[in-house]
Amino acid sequence: MSTRWYPIYQRGNPQLRVFLPNFWMKLVRPTEEQPANVVTFAVSTEMTKHDVKNYLEKIYKVPVVDVRTRIALGETKRDQTYGYVTKKDDVKLAYVTMPKTEAFTFPDLFANKAEQQEKEEKSMDESKAGFRKFLERNKKRPGTPGWYSI
Amino acid sequence: MLTLRRGEQLRARLNAACRRYLAIKAEPKAVTVAESEYSAEPEYPAIRDMSFKGRKLQSAAEWHEEIRQVPTVEEKMIKINMPRYYGYKVVDLNDTKVPFNALPLTQHYTRTVLEELPPKQAEPGEEKVDLDATVKVARNDIIEALEFAHDCYKHQLTLLDTPPDAVTREQQLTQIIVEQINRSALQVLSAEYPHLNEVEIDYNPRHEAFWAVGGVDPPKNVVKSKKGRDWQKADAYDSVDRLVQYTGEPYLALRHRHQLPTWKTPEESENLTLANQLPRYKHDARTLGYSTKYQHAINVPGYWPSVNAPNFGMLSFQSRAHLQLRPQACGERDQLEALHALGIQSSYAWLLAQANYNGFNTYNELTYPLNTQTVITNGREWSFYEYQLNTLLVHGPHVDSNARVNFCRGTAPQPLYAEISPEGKCVDFNDGTLRQLLTLYINAPSIQRTPDELMPYVSGPTLRRAADYENPEQREFLERTFKHLASKRPRHLELPEIYMWEKLYKIDNRTRAMEARRRFFERDINPWKRTLDQHDKEYVPRALRPGGRKNREERFKKTYYP
Repeated sequence: MSTRWYPIYQRGNPQLRVFLPNFWMKLVRPTEEQPANVVTFAVSTEMTKHDVKNYLEKIYKVPVVDVRTRIALGETKRDQTYGYVTKKDDVKLAYVTMPKTEAFTFPDLFANKAEQQEKEEKSMDESKAGFRKFLERNKKRPGTPGWYSI
Repeated sequence: MLTLRRGEQLRARLNAACRRYLAIKAEPKAVTVAESEYSAEPEYPAIRDMSFKGRKLQSAAEWHEEIRQVPTVEEKMIKINMPRYYGYKVVDLNDTKVPFNALPLTQHYTRTVLEELPPKQAEPGEEKVDLDATVKVARNDIIEALEFAHDCYKHQLTLLDTPPDAVTREQQLTQIIVEQINRSALQVLSAEYPHLNEVEIDYNPRHEAFWAVGGVDPPKNVVKSKKGRDWQKADAYDSVDRLVQYTGEPYLALRHRHQLPTWKTPEESENLTLANQLPRYKHDARTLGYSTKYQHAINVPGYWPSVNAPNFGMLSFQSRAHLQLRPQACGERDQLEALHALGIQSSYAWLLAQANYNGFNTYNELTYPLNTQTVITNGREWSFYEYQLNTLLVHGPHVDSNARVNFCRGTAPQPLYAEISPEGKCVDFNDGTLRQLLTLYINAPSIQRTPDELMPYVSGPTLRRAADYENPEQREFLERTFKHLASKRPRHLELPEIYMWEKLYKIDNRTRAMEARRRFFERDINPWKRTLDQHDKEYVPRALRPGGRKNREERFKKTYYP
């Protein structure tokens, strides 16, 4: 759905416009342990329980039994240089209960992060070694381009 | 003058101490020692677990023992409340909210085995014929009562400008129906069943109970704090106790002097494998939709403590009006489970409150089983439950080790009638449901126990209630404190408030370093930790002071906290 406010209508603008609500839902990892059939979402503060339920049921075809919501206070942070306090926006958290048969586990997005990193490091090491070799070979003839010798 | 040097002084003192010690040791030899002091096998005192966990368990057990030793019922309740001035943080169980999938939590929190019964068929034998005749007599009376209730309520609604919401409507109508049915049932049965003549009827009584439940996962802040200390890291995920307060208001409750007969033997009730098979809801109760609140531990079975009164519950009629508010998507199966959960919670809480008036509580185990019967109804649908309370210990390690379990058996809701026709006539009256309701009435409370057996943890025949104290000042103090706790009125000293600007600029971000630190959160004072007796004592004016006007010692009234 739309993530920005629509411009106010000005004379001469097209007459027929479809207005989409400013609704968004973000799946978040729960801070406390929850039963498998409960999913936590951060949602737009304007959404009601009914909105959340309809959003999931109509768009994603997720069976929803019950929705509980609360508004979490945004974090405050102190500016490192000038010392003033800034605050992030409040966010509505929706706890969506699904039927007992359903189960949701938050995906481990970075399960193979270490593996990936290792692979990247390996290729980096290889290219570093190649460059070192090149430098070694051209020690006595500085400024030679890479394509000069085999 | 001879001055001893420091070392010599110490040596002299040591010598003196040794001599004294030797003298004490030598003394028993001189006097004749009774033979019984010695045994063939050496009897050592039990080895105490001096680890942190062991000491914690030990101190908890000592506190529970202290509660057990407290002489009167009221004082026991005050004693449980002593650690908190503003009340405990409790999970709020009540009869107005049963969230989705609440049955496992209910069974865990009340340690209850649930047996679902099929709708009862007429039993063969003499009893059946007996009841058949009674049902036939009661039938017309009750149909008339039903029609009257509907008619009456319809009329009441016409008098109102704005009709109340569906939940209130159901409650008001059911209240009339239940009262009428109870009246006619008592009328029909009391000639034949004399125990019904001695029954005490409570209309909309107050049923409350407090208990502690173990085996719940620790909250995040506890885990974090324990993980921050090396020596506690291993125990970071140990389960913790949760305190629970049930609050309910049934339509009607019947009480009797004697107890209902039990339907499970002690052998059946003590079964560790069965206890371990019970569902365990390890997550926070808030993940289901229950809320928490701060309040004092209160146990009220619908009346104040009194001796020789009808102290045992026989039958209670619970409301199911709030189940209307549950989302439709819960489904029929969950609706049934919600009814079971409601039946278990209300029966357990009522029995626990009754047990409390006999000197037991969540920390001091029952010595005999207690039984009750519960009906959940909306006037048309009736479900019947029987409950046997065998144990109260669900807290701490008992959740794993306690072999005793409570039992609940109940039926699915059955209709008493199909509908009330537009002419106000009752259609399709169900005799089976009526029969089952009447069987609850004719179940005669037969168990009678001696007072000492009933109240093993209460002091003695002369001192059972706070009212038995000789000292009028003490009596009044205990009465006032007890009633004040039970009233749920806010405390005299209000909880200090943290304003939002203070949270933002003083707690979360320390922007006011130069300001004097005067507020409680800046002085490391936790107001929730204030104990019940941390308040200014009442001043006694000079004119009324015992021991004369100049007596400064007794210028404050004495307190009698247990």
